[in-house]
Amino acid sequence: MEEKVLQILGGLCGAEPGELSPGLDLFEEGLLDSFATVQLLLELEEAFGVSLALEELSREQIATPAKIAALVREAQG
Amino acid sequence: MTPYTGLLFFYILALALVPAVALGLAGRSLRGYGLAFSVGMLCILFGLNGQLLFLAVFAAWELGLCGLFWRLRRRPRPALWVAVVLALLPLALVKVGEVWAPLGFFRLMGVSYMTFRAVEVLLNCYDGRLKSLHFGDLCYFLLFFPAVSAGPIDRFKRFCGDIAAAPGREAYLELLRQGVWKLAGGAFGGILLGGLLQAYWLAPLPERGLGATLSYMYGYTLFLFCNFAGYSSMAIGTGYLLGVRVPENFRQPFLSVDMKEFWSRWHSTLSTWLRDYVYSRFVLRSLKQRRFRNPRTASYLGYLLTMLAMGLWHGLAPHYLAYGAYHSALMCLNEALDLHWRPFKKLKKQGAGQLCCALVTFHLFAFGLLIFSGRLF
Repeated sequence: MEEKVLQILGGLCGAEPGELSPGLDLFEEGLLDSFATVQLLLELEEAFGVSLALEELSREQIATPAKIAALVREAQG
Repeated sequence: MTPYTGLLFFYILALALVPAVALGLAGRSLRGYGLAFSVGMLCILFGLNGQLLFLAVFAAWELGLCGLFWRLRRRPRPALWVAVVLALLPLALVKVGEVWAPLGFFRLMGVSYMTFRAVEVLLNCYDGRLKSLHFGDLCYFLLFFPAVSAGPIDRFKRFCGDIAAAPGREAYLELLRQGVWKLAGGAFGGILLGGLLQAYWLAPLPERGLGATLSYMYGYTLFLFCNFAGYSSMAIGTGYLLGVRVPENFRQPFLSVDMKEFWSRWHSTLSTWLRDYVYSRFVLRSLKQRRFRNPRTASYLGYLLTMLAMGLWHGLAPHYLAYGAYHSALMCLNEALDLHWRPFKKLKKQGAGQLCCALVTFHLFAFGLLIFSGRLF
């Protein structure tokens, strides 16, 4: 799961291979802006079949790849 | 009477909050009293302003719309559009009335903020994000008094979570402590500092001249920050005393290093509302339908739409439209710099570069407020 999330994020943020790690703060590093967040939700929906509403997510909940993976796991039940 | 202004208002507010504090300290639920408090305060305020009838009609209209939309078994997209347009209608009438005398009689304080609340409920219904819709909670949310005149803009599900259960004596004591602190801090910033800036900086300035206009730009920016952040803080503090953790609206905005960051720190409940319900919805739909060959086009157009909506929401006067267009352009420029000028990211992180970016951002925003003030045209 984490691997796939990292792969999606890598594509969205234009990050170099190895630049992303599970604990990296995506907002602090300026990697995730509003547009990339919308794209991320769309790609998570396509990859894992989970529908996450942006308005219900805090920045804290999607701050790192590990947190995003945990969120997807939770949404999958 | 204006909320959070004048001794009479604070006298009434203090009296009306006594039962809330007593209930909170007794560990009882504040939901019922909070609704009665809000309705009572609105009746006093709008009654004194001669707007009570308009308020009653407006509230019935918005509550009826939300209730009807909730009851629809199927909620096709055109029905959502009709409901949203109807929910926006009173706001549009008020805004048109501000610039067109024949409709000038239609005035309603707080209509912008209450409309935001109703539209959010409609969008949540459409998205299927609400499991239930309790009429009392909807009334309380729509008419929640503390933030009625100047925000912050709360969210329905978050609000319902706060009022669902009694906070408990210990938690309420903490809310009370923080609430009183926020009320006092807000009064200091909004009333005292704002008042001093208005009386001793802005009021004596001559109407014309480059120097006076520049001085007005700085003075007005500081005044609006003190005034607006102060009023927000008082609204948040009052909310806390009613057991509602109203979200923060200002987080040291002048430390921002670009406009995107600025809008996440200045009147952030408005900008996140617009981000979630205008920008993101537009971008998401555009990406799903593959409307544009370059997906980033959706983002640029999204910013354009969002900031123009923000300008329009303030009013239909030319300076508000110019303010919206100006911020649309700045957001698009910010997006373009982030994407195409690699040093920008580094610059925002380094000491001297960071300071420069913060200064430029401050001046860009201050110039925006000069447009907003209507002094230029």
